[in-house]
Amino acid sequence: MISEFLHSPLFALPLSICAFWLGVLLYRRTGTVLLHPIVTASLLVFATLHTLEIPYSDYQSSSGLLYALLGPAVVALAVPLKQNLTVIRRAGWPLLVTIAVGALLAPAIAVVIALLLGAGKSVLLALSGKSITTPIALALAEKIHATLSLTAAIVVLTGVVGALAGPPLVRCLGIRDERILGVVLGINAHAVGTARALEISALCGACAALAMGLCGALSALVLPLIIGT
Amino acid sequence: MTPPSPREIAHWVLGIAILFGSERLGSLIGTALALPVPGAVVGMLLLLIGLMIYGGVPRGLAKVSAQLLFLLPLLFLPAATGVFFLRNLTLSDWLALLAAILFGTLISLTLCTLLLRHLLKKTDTAHSHDQ
Repeated sequence: MISEFLHSPLFALPLSICAFWLGVLLYRRTGTVLLHPIVTASLLVFATLHTLEIPYSDYQSSSGLLYALLGPAVVALAVPLKQNLTVIRRAGWPLLVTIAVGALLAPAIAVVIALLLGAGKSVLLALSGKSITTPIALALAEKIHATLSLTAAIVVLTGVVGALAGPPLVRCLGIRDERILGVVLGINAHAVGTARALEISALCGACAALAMGLCGALSALVLPLIIGT
Repeated sequence: MTPPSPREIAHWVLGIAILFGSERLGSLIGTALALPVPGAVVGMLLLLIGLMIYGGVPRGLAKVSAQLLFLLPLLFLPAATGVFFLRNLTLSDWLALLAAILFGTLISLTLCTLLLRHLLKKTDTAHSHDQ
């Protein structure tokens, strides 16, 4: 009876929600990107599953509702994209060119580094979605047969590294233009970077949201063609 | 907090319907044309084009989307948790992975920054020549 309950959505869903909620609380308290809600939440879920000896596959299969909402979440990205489209009108083609180049450059550099260090094929495939916002990266991972879990973890880690290193790095290069910082964060650190950019200024956040959306859409259009061959 | 009016609820339902409708339509088109692009991304582009033609974002859709995007980490929590259960990667795989993420992100950040600055400078000087 109890074991049946532990392996059903009735347990999996509240577990995910509680872990996420605690993650959000902790993130708001500390305000550091290192404790992004997903970091705390996934550790909490892992600890719970491990202690109660619930196989991951059971948890995963009873989380169907959450997986089903990922598709509509991808579609929802069109809304911030539309709302921030005016940024393009002001910064025009330099923005578009940088986003297009960055969308290819970010995964390419990572894949080359991993290749030089002798990583296996599953790692390389998962790395190709590294700087795309997670819902699109997961949809893409399904298409190119990359491991979903690995892709999700890589995307989160990239976001955290990018959002932490981005602002000081851009400052080090002697740049004060918030548009540049926003775009660079959106391309390289997707949603985590966009959240960071919003903390800096509305303009910075708008640039990041725009870059994240365009970069994700572009990657989804182009990467399957490159990898599929 | 006042309870939402029937009008507001209708806006939300419409927003949800637009999101799910766009996703279904995108998936259908994706499968019909055997596109390599994920169906949800086709749906996103369809919605973007729709919103550009409409010339704004319906209030309910804006609200539902913002809520869904806030919940995004919850939606991919099951997938992200799986990384702790991966057993088929070697230690060298993990090291290569971490190095690729760390250095890849730093290099890409730097290159994107320099490229955009260069391009913006070019257009700025072009504009000042115009004036």
